[in-house]
Amino acid sequence: MITRLLATMLMLSLALPLAAGAQEPFPARPISLVAPFPPGGVADLMARPVAAAMEKVLKSPVVVVNKTGAAGAVGMSFVANSKPDGYTLLMALSSISIIPEADKLFDRKPAYTMDQLTPIALISADPTIFVVRADRPWKSVKEFVDDAKKRPEQISYSSSGVYGTLHMAMEMLSHAAGITLKHVPYAGAGPALTAILGGHVDALASGPAVVLPHIKAGKLRPLAGWGAKRVAALPDLPTFKELGYDIEFYIWAGMFAPTGTPEPILRKLRDTVRQAVQEPDFKAAMSKLETPIAYMDAPEFQKFWDKDAKMLADAIKRVGKIEEKK
Amino acid sequence: MLETLQNLYLGFSIALSPTVLIYAFAGCVIGTLVGILPGVGPLAGISLLLPASFGLEATTAIVLLAGIYYGAMYGGSTTSILMRIPGEAASVMTCIDGYAMTRKGRAGAALAIAAVGSYIAGTASVVGLMLLAPPLASFALRFGPPEYVALLLLGLLALAYMSGGSVPKSLAMALLGLLLGMIGIDPMTGYFRFHYGLVELGDGIGVVPVAVGLFGVSEILLSAGQPTPPAVMKPMLRDLLPSRQEWRDSAWPIGRGTVLGFLIGIIPGSAHIISSFVSYAVERRLSKHPEQFGQGAVAGVAGPESANNSATSGAFVPMLALGVPSGPIPAVMLAAMMVHGISPGPLLITQQPELFWGFIASMYVGNVVLLVLNLPLVGVFVNLLRIPYPFLYPAILVFSVVGVYAVNGSVVDVGIMAVMGAVGYLLRKFEFETAPIVLGLVLAPMLEMSLRQSLALSSGSYAVFVQRPIAATMLLLGAALLLLSLRPLLTTGLDWRRSLGIKQEPSLEERGDP
Repeated sequence: MITRLLATMLMLSLALPLAAGAQEPFPARPISLVAPFPPGGVADLMARPVAAAMEKVLKSPVVVVNKTGAAGAVGMSFVANSKPDGYTLLMALSSISIIPEADKLFDRKPAYTMDQLTPIALISADPTIFVVRADRPWKSVKEFVDDAKKRPEQISYSSSGVYGTLHMAMEMLSHAAGITLKHVPYAGAGPALTAILGGHVDALASGPAVVLPHIKAGKLRPLAGWGAKRVAALPDLPTFKELGYDIEFYIWAGMFAPTGTPEPILRKLRDTVRQAVQEPDFKAAMSKLETPIAYMDAPEFQKFWDKDAKMLADAIKRVGKIEEKK
Repeated sequence: MLETLQNLYLGFSIALSPTVLIYAFAGCVIGTLVGILPGVGPLAGISLLLPASFGLEATTAIVLLAGIYYGAMYGGSTTSILMRIPGEAASVMTCIDGYAMTRKGRAGAALAIAAVGSYIAGTASVVGLMLLAPPLASFALRFGPPEYVALLLLGLLALAYMSGGSVPKSLAMALLGLLLGMIGIDPMTGYFRFHYGLVELGDGIGVVPVAVGLFGVSEILLSAGQPTPPAVMKPMLRDLLPSRQEWRDSAWPIGRGTVLGFLIGIIPGSAHIISSFVSYAVERRLSKHPEQFGQGAVAGVAGPESANNSATSGAFVPMLALGVPSGPIPAVMLAAMMVHGISPGPLLITQQPELFWGFIASMYVGNVVLLVLNLPLVGVFVNLLRIPYPFLYPAILVFSVVGVYAVNGSVVDVGIMAVMGAVGYLLRKFEFETAPIVLGLVLAPMLEMSLRQSLALSSGSYAVFVQRPIAATMLLLGAALLLLSLRPLLTTGLDWRRSLGIKQEPSLEERGDP
């Protein structure tokens, strides 16, 4: 008798969540936040504190899942094609706008399209800064540009990879200044930094946090920043806008959901992130990473994203297909 | 010198504090387990466990991660020796002679030599790291693309000594490996090559699924195809320890492997993978009995295992001295430092002496922990071979699939492993050796990238390879080695391969090598 009662109760308790269905408050199970880059990369380092802060707000687990490959395309297309139920989210970087454009350029079947993803919130936006080796003669952007005009395709820079974010930043500079530089792509931002430190290339566009110690040690010299405002850690460093170049570039990290996610769930997620970025633990984690929090809610973020994506698309079209030089 | 000793004292006072000691121990244990799981190498292990270190204090976190790293390098040899499954690319060479030793009932000896060799290499290279880090790091940074090309070409020469069979066959296999390495995004133009619509192939074919397939899965298939099941090993206690002769044969290979691995390891990039291939080639070249290689030569285990462990410490040189992400694993560790608010850079050693010296001291401690942990385990591991094959092989297969999947969470990788298992089975039936495929696959993307970077830097002029002193020296050395290896062919027509041909098992020797 008791056994049967217990069994019935067990069955009921199992059946309840299923029966409740749509009325069940979101989230009823753990949310996974996909970082399309390996642990230790920028997307991962942003995703983890955000996930931890969201857990506190939601009182439900948020798990970071690294789904890596093909410069992030694997993870991004995974989320883009996931069930739009709010349980699979994406922490993407600026490169989210690059991959579909590059696919278009090469007439490839796109891994995903940007309208498959709906923005939730922008978390951080770090302006890239322009550094040269300290033993090179250029003390200002003007000197650099003048020299580059005299010697086209002689001054070299390293990047995180062809059509990568750091390549795009330099392409914008080259276009705005009317210069041509020698591009040497590397497999990632780390090797690109190693290349300039080893003296194999002359210049590099990079996030400030990574190059700051090398600037302090006198190995690299910053010439300008791509942000609209000056970088807090380098108050004397002018921005390109101040110098008369109309270019702006950020390595940003933002959260996305698959398009088609129900409006109430999206709203809940947006509210959660808004509260999460206010958590003291989150702020502490971000300040340790020396990454400024640049929170934007979905509508604002959508505008920012559209503008950024258009800028990147233009840059990619300008670069075009890279043909082997004969 | 006195200052170094004082610093070291400071380091040991940190490394031997209970918390740090416990985490160093935990790191070594986790690392060993990670290394034993087929397919999951140090990079995957350290990446998977990185988030767990975020909550710890900075020095403790770094010590834990470093423990996982060198623990996994130790553990990788275990499955290579016992089951012919390389835990990661660097253990491929250990599979060959280590597994051959197992088939001869010398599994215990092979494991013990690998553990002791790794211990010596690990400890000696920490001494190198401690004394030479700053000057060596600046030198290592001078390795640009042209130097890398020269180094990789030297690595390619290892091919000449890798296989015991026919030269055209091993060249064919190396070419197959190089071709497989062409799959993926063209690094200079962004074109996709041979991807057949699979986004996952954009990064190219991973070395781990290929190595596990070619070595491990093919071995299982071959055993399953035998008319009578292989006899189950009954290891005796006295077989667990290496004989006096085996110790003597390993001494020099361990020494050479240590130096070689350390030097290759400090070079930024992923070249440390080739240290074990190069060490194997060197040992075979120098050996008085090159024909024993492939048949269970203890030097073929001692050299590569020592080399890949000292390459591990070598890789920390540019990372600690200059804050340079000198490879995938140091890059993950730098990220771990940044999470704790430490800016890795050239000033790290002076600004964070506790971290640097604590780390150094913990590596001494960690190597001892690993030796103490691994030597008694030799007995346990060897007893795994007592498991009857109908139970052992399916279990290995399951672990291989889990391990290969876990690295990237990619089903495509599991598919690659399965295909490579079948390919490896066929190739071995036709007496092709599979190690050159792995070497080709490891070298191809690096060689292509650095060759094209060099040419981009020099605006297309090949003179860049002879104008830069380091590159020119290495190319000259390579040319000299190539000529030396050709000499016996030219002068006497007698090669060690010939004497090998006579001594091989009849079943393998149906062709009748001329």
